[in-house]
Amino acid sequence: MGGQTLSRHHSGQESLTTAFFSKAARNPVTAKPAMGFALGIIALLAISLWHLQTRTQLPLADQIGLWLGTPAESFSSFEYLYSDMPRLLMAIMAGAVLGLVGSMMQQLLQNPLVSPMTLGASSGAWLGLVAASVLVPGLAVIYREWWALSGAVLATGLCLLVARRSGFRGPPIVLSGMAVSLLFGALASALVLLNDQYVRNLFIWGAGDLAQGDWKEVLWLLPRLTPVLLLLIFAHRPLMLMRLGDQGARSRGLSLIPVMIALLLIALWLTASVISTVGLIGFIGLLTPQIARPFCGQSARQEMLASALIGAFLLCLTDIIALRATDFFGQLVPSGAAAALIGAPALIILAMKRKNSEKTPSEAIRHDNAFSDHAQQPWLLRSPKKARSIIALTAIAILCLAFFVFPKTVLNAGQAQTVWGWFWPEGYLWQLRWPRVLTAMMAGFGLAVAGTVLQRLIRNPLASPDILGLSAGATLSIVVFILIFGAQWLIFSPLIAFGGSFAVLALLLFLGKKQSFTPGIMVLTGIALTALLDAILQFTLASGTEEVFSLLLWMSGSTYKVTDQQAIILTVGVLILSVLTLVWHRALTLIAISDDVAQARGINLGKTRGWLLTLIAGICALITAVIGPVSFIGLLSPHLANLLGAKRILPQIVLASIAGASLLVLSDWVGRVALYPVQISAGVIASLIGGSYFIYLLTRQKL
Amino acid sequence: MTSFSIKQLSQKLTAGLAFVLIATSQAFAVTVEDSLGKHEFSQPATRVITLNWGATEEVLELGVTPVGIADIQGYKTWVARPEVPDGVIDVGTRAEPNVERLAELKPDLIIVGSMQQDMVARLSPIAPVLYFDNYRADHSNIQAIEHSFIELGKALGKGEEAKNRLKERDQILADLKRKVWQHFNGQPPKVGVARFGDANHARVYGDNSMPTAALDALGLKAALDIPSTTWGQVQKPIRDLAYLDGVLLYIRPLPNEDELFKRPLFRMMPFVSEGRIAPVKATWTYGGALSIRYLAEHFVDALTSMPADIQTAKSHGAAN
Repeated sequence: MGGQTLSRHHSGQESLTTAFFSKAARNPVTAKPAMGFALGIIALLAISLWHLQTRTQLPLADQIGLWLGTPAESFSSFEYLYSDMPRLLMAIMAGAVLGLVGSMMQQLLQNPLVSPMTLGASSGAWLGLVAASVLVPGLAVIYREWWALSGAVLATGLCLLVARRSGFRGPPIVLSGMAVSLLFGALASALVLLNDQYVRNLFIWGAGDLAQGDWKEVLWLLPRLTPVLLLLIFAHRPLMLMRLGDQGARSRGLSLIPVMIALLLIALWLTASVISTVGLIGFIGLLTPQIARPFCGQSARQEMLASALIGAFLLCLTDIIALRATDFFGQLVPSGAAAALIGAPALIILAMKRKNSEKTPSEAIRHDNAFSDHAQQPWLLRSPKKARSIIALTAIAILCLAFFVFPKTVLNAGQAQTVWGWFWPEGYLWQLRWPRVLTAMMAGFGLAVAGTVLQRLIRNPLASPDILGLSAGATLSIVVFILIFGAQWLIFSPLIAFGGSFAVLALLLFLGKKQSFTPGIMVLTGIALTALLDAILQFTLASGTEEVFSLLLWMSGSTYKVTDQQAIILTVGVLILSVLTLVWHRALTLIAISDDVAQARGINLGKTRGWLLTLIAGICALITAVIGPVSFIGLLSPHLANLLGAKRILPQIVLASIAGASLLVLSDWVGRVALYPVQISAGVIASLIGGSYFIYLLTRQKL
Repeated sequence: MTSFSIKQLSQKLTAGLAFVLIATSQAFAVTVEDSLGKHEFSQPATRVITLNWGATEEVLELGVTPVGIADIQGYKTWVARPEVPDGVIDVGTRAEPNVERLAELKPDLIIVGSMQQDMVARLSPIAPVLYFDNYRADHSNIQAIEHSFIELGKALGKGEEAKNRLKERDQILADLKRKVWQHFNGQPPKVGVARFGDANHARVYGDNSMPTAALDALGLKAALDIPSTTWGQVQKPIRDLAYLDGVLLYIRPLPNEDELFKRPLFRMMPFVSEGRIAPVKATWTYGGALSIRYLAEHFVDALTSMPADIQTAKSHGAAN
């Protein structure tokens, strides 16, 4: 079993994805599409009728009367006419469009992990709204849709810009989507944390609820969805041609790039219109095409239509659940949260079902030139020795900065003055500072080691511990815990986070064992968990209580609350686990070349991967437990080491860990002094620095 | 130049006064009880730092100017009353106040709230810390708040004054109660309190919230049955308020108020079409012991703007 499912690594992107997509085409179910669609429409009608019955007490005869235009008289009939009916229509429209657009994009980019949400649209819209609410509070509410739309366009535009050189294909687009999302998300979090009262009313939108009280929103959205027709009419042929691969499509007279840009712009417009009206509803776009594909993967248009049908059906279903839950808990349960609760497990189950297919979806983000030399050597590389002394000096300088350079409040005749300078931290200040600096250092160190090992383990220089969902697991467990028991439990957050990370690890080991821990299932779990986390977080935020800010703060990756004891435990733990990973350094070198090479030299792939994964999980769990999730450090540090000329595993780990430690210490320091006396979390700054650098690298094709 | 020296002079006077106070209160010894236990104070605190807005409000109400408070700008925007005097130093955000600056301000008392529980250990080396865990789902928030106000007063050497302020407040509340009952000829409607979030959602205040405590003080019954939660509020679709039995007060600011009142379903809601709704001036709803008074005043203003014979819905029963 294990041997059979071991993935074979094709060198070309095209063979990889056509294998994935053509599997569906062989399915016999597609024989009678008309019949399938009829069934689908009947199912949609049935669930629509059910959806309409969720709230109303009107007899069916009266309801039909209202459909046919009988004027509403009683308040119940007004409710039906102005709330139940537009809500159903909104669910159908939003679900159908998200499904259709998801299907189109997955076909266009030949990548089943793509959806508008994974390309940064939602975090862009979120940032747009948050920024508007803080900067121009009056205008924010009135032009809500436009702020969201511009944010989404900006984020996805950036994402496409980054990926343009690779022809929007393959790994860069998914990974730049992740980077843009993290970057925009970090910016939005910083704004929310510093201006919490202004942005409260946004949280409901963020949670994605379909409640309606007027036809206005439906009528606003409807004309904006007309480009759907364009997709249905014109996208079919290019999408079919693209299945032949870029070469094949070109040879049949398709001008690839303009068509792609046009289609992506339409997709972006549709998505932005939908989410700016109903809020952040994830998963539908990602999940629906995966359900539709086995039934009608033969024709691009059929897949889009089927995805639209299934998307509408799914959103109606999850909305019914959200409505019932709202009644049951006496408190709003947004539709978006319900969609995520169903979507995340469904995505994982679908992925497992496909385990026998030759390619797991996430291999679409595999990078084939993993550790190839860069065409252009950076200046540092020309003299590695000099480079190493420079990085050592930089690291020491950053450490000095972190300890000794800071603003100070001086009392002068009762007035406080802020003095900047170079001070020796006296007494209690020293006591306050060392745990923070040590924690930032060791967390950066650990994340860099984990990132380096992981990138070699799954042969992808764009992998980072975040994508395994370990931090998401930790964060999720804390969010859920606080949601249920209240914020006073934040005291136990290290233990809860640790538990969460290990639950995810157990899941990964369980799911991955059958497949010898091939990257696919690991990455997918991460994506599903992260999306689930987002939805639950937005749901928590929507409750609008004070404790959500403690939570947001924890999530921003802060060294603020670290105690002496935690700093020491973290240091010892990270050091032990990091040294342990070196036991497998030979295996890591071989696996980084290929599975076949590693096996030929007698490496037990499953066992080695399992152990290394456990070690990485341990490091991440420890770090997340102490300071919360921190992005980009694990991703960028190995790359920096690479840039400094470390090709072999040992020097790479050493250099990466120095780089990681310096980066996080620097971020922590900037966060402490930039807006003094207000503090910004190290994690936010790390995302800003790391995210910008990452995007820069991607645009330069250095990754 | 002149103003500067006057300032200096007044500072010296204050310092001198403080010295006299300290000198004369040698016998001052008081036990203050917070959520963590009992604390002994040998002299009243003068250099106070408050890290949550509720405590800031209470300290200011007792006539003590804190040395530092968290998020001054936010306090000025959202709490507003009582005003923060000039010269109070910002110590950063409420959730992550700047501990280094806190230490440098050399306080002799730090007051923290529910949000900052895990900071007590960190702050104790700097100065005595009073922690009042006032907002919890499993106790009466208002009782906890009143108790903490008196205890906090004791630590500032103003225990008696705090008690007097509460009595004074109760007197005002009793007057307000009389006023509103008179207005409705002894038959006031039930009252629900909400903040509209967007066009379709509202945050509704229930048991354990300050608005409900204010309603209780006015002898008014709640129109909505909302379970007791930590902060006393839940998020609901506006539609769920339809069969509200009584009147609805919504707290401003409400951006786009006109838009909301133009929406057909909202206009048709029985409590809207029958005029059983009124706006309340912008008020902070998680405040200290005396803030109930402001809430009650604003509620009474809103309620007395309604006709005395306002109908209460009887046919539909309680809201779901």
